[in-house]
Amino acid sequence: MAQSENPSRERILERIRAGLRTGIPNSTVIGSRGEIFEPISNPLQRFQQECIANLMECVLTADCDASARQFSKVLELVPDGEVFVQDDPSLRRLIELAAPLRLIRWSSQGAPSEASQATVTLAEALIAQTGSILVTASCGGRGASVVAPCHIVYATVAQLVPDLANALRSIAQQGTLGRNSFACVISGSSRTADIEKILVQGAHGPRRLVVILQTTN
Amino acid sequence: MSATPAQRFLQDAAVKSADLVHREIIRRGMESYDAAHLKGRARIKDWEAAREKCQEIKREAINHLDQYLLQFEEKVIARGGHVFWAADGDEACAYVKNLAMRLGVRTVVKSKSMVTEEIHLGSILEKVGIKVWETDFGEYIVQLRDEAPYHIVTPAMHLNRGQIAELFREKVDPGIVSDDPSDLMAAARRKLRQAFFSAEMGISGANFLVADAGVVAISTNEGNGRLCTSVPRVHVVVTGIEKVIPRLEDLAVLWPVLATSGTGQGITTYSTLIGGPRRAAEVDGPEEFHVVLVDNGRSQLLADAEQREVLHCIRCGACLNICPVFRHVGGHTYGTTYPGPIGSVLTPHLAGIKEFKHLSYASSLCGACTSVCPVKIDLHHHLLQNRRNATEAGATKSSERMMFRAWRSAMLHPRIYALGGWSMRKALRIMYGMGLGGTFLDPMREWNRHRAPVPLPSESFRAGWRRDLGAK
Repeated sequence: MAQSENPSRERILERIRAGLRTGIPNSTVIGSRGEIFEPISNPLQRFQQECIANLMECVLTADCDASARQFSKVLELVPDGEVFVQDDPSLRRLIELAAPLRLIRWSSQGAPSEASQATVTLAEALIAQTGSILVTASCGGRGASVVAPCHIVYATVAQLVPDLANALRSIAQQGTLGRNSFACVISGSSRTADIEKILVQGAHGPRRLVVILQTTN
Repeated sequence: MSATPAQRFLQDAAVKSADLVHREIIRRGMESYDAAHLKGRARIKDWEAAREKCQEIKREAINHLDQYLLQFEEKVIARGGHVFWAADGDEACAYVKNLAMRLGVRTVVKSKSMVTEEIHLGSILEKVGIKVWETDFGEYIVQLRDEAPYHIVTPAMHLNRGQIAELFREKVDPGIVSDDPSDLMAAARRKLRQAFFSAEMGISGANFLVADAGVVAISTNEGNGRLCTSVPRVHVVVTGIEKVIPRLEDLAVLWPVLATSGTGQGITTYSTLIGGPRRAAEVDGPEEFHVVLVDNGRSQLLADAEQREVLHCIRCGACLNICPVFRHVGGHTYGTTYPGPIGSVLTPHLAGIKEFKHLSYASSLCGACTSVCPVKIDLHHHLLQNRRNATEAGATKSSERMMFRAWRSAMLHPRIYALGGWSMRKALRIMYGMGLGGTFLDPMREWNRHRAPVPLPSESFRAGWRRDLGAK
């Protein structure tokens, strides 16, 4: 943005610098800090536990055929109508096996429509510590994980990372945010507790979040 | 003459404290929060270590604020985003308003942002004919009631389901019969879906601005923040300059700590990172991305070495939830954008110590706020410092200054002090004997109005002290 369009920028920066020149406030030296989070010895088990706590569904499968069968079962509960799918060879194969007759809108055809009944995407990573999936704009776009009442994620155990620190370090090192304008750590279905602190699932986003987790690649 | 903020606070506090329905709603809400918060804390192995880490991250960020903001700005611009620095609320609102008008925006969807409340952005846009939809469920409810948010995390926590159902029947759908929260949410979802898919601009706040990655981090549970930042063709982030943090990895601690302190969750459902407009190969997302960095008094606070750490606040709301004053008088009584202990500390800096010095006294100084703050802000001592600052700035009433001068003089002259004490005991005994306790003649009337008069001692404290020491 041109300087003329941002007249206060320098003034604010000067004020900040002047403020900081007044000296560092009481900065007590922090002593030996303990481990903040419990180390995760079994990421898969932890991920499954956290999925339950997050009110997500996690279905463990042995191979692609088993994934297709589970996927088909999940889709049985999805009402008729368009299903939005990230255009990826692995998901094309899954759809071919599990739902060849379903009305599909591929991400290569554009963003999911408002009326999508479900969305199907891959994930960049799964995070055991919080039972989360990490998606980016590459996983079918921004709307793919939030527009429909049901979001189905197809992932493999090899994508599991133990904790948030690992996941964030990994996306920083791989330049993921340089290639994507968006990333999101999703930890459950959309929810609210704004009335009397009572939990309601499916606020503005999906009511169901299903992870089909395959143990082999 | 209209009432001052201090007079309004006292009037509203008296009304709210006596409102038993309100107290019951808040009691239940806070009980539920307390249980979730404790459970959430138990998920973190060393909560104190987590607080120290967060304090350290925020301290580093604030003590190098200029460097980290410039780093953030550079990255956002490199990805095709725009960064606007606003000295105050007027500049920030003018920028967003002009942008909206230039792009022909008629409808805006907003996700929850306390900074936009602080600068009154919604009403500024509405004045030029732009329809603004608050899309967070709680914010939507208070918008329908034309009210300010009651709480910085749960804006409608002062209402029960019956009150909300009645409001929805009147303003959303007359056909609503149930007061079940899921039915009410479904009604709001139906209504707001139309707004999401017709709005040309989405406005959000930011929980953090990540300097090394040049992204904004937004935490939401409902998914409304996701839709606001995905569907409209323009996304505007309006946030305070103090939200910057140095590194992406810092979120590995800040996200869980924010969620635990805010709602008791291990992590917020959608922890989103956005670094710019949609890229050429991306399926969707806004074509324009703007970040408005709002100063509005924050840089002045940097110069206050004693209270600079107030800028560390991550707006989790934990200090509100635990505060015995907030629990009794409620959020609206404060009459400020930020209620509760953090609001009482911050507001005099942002809106003037003379007008808002009374908030420093809306505290029992019990220190509960300090004990729960996830970034270890010494809140109750800052309230004391604000009391001192108000006195030094001459913001106190002349009657109060005279009273303290008289008290000081008495303290320096023990005989006068003893005489004063004796006279007061005698006078009060006669007054209470005549049944005048709690009336306008009673100097202890604020206490005695709703209580039996405090029993008067037969002798002075000094006399009792001498006698007891003598006995030993």
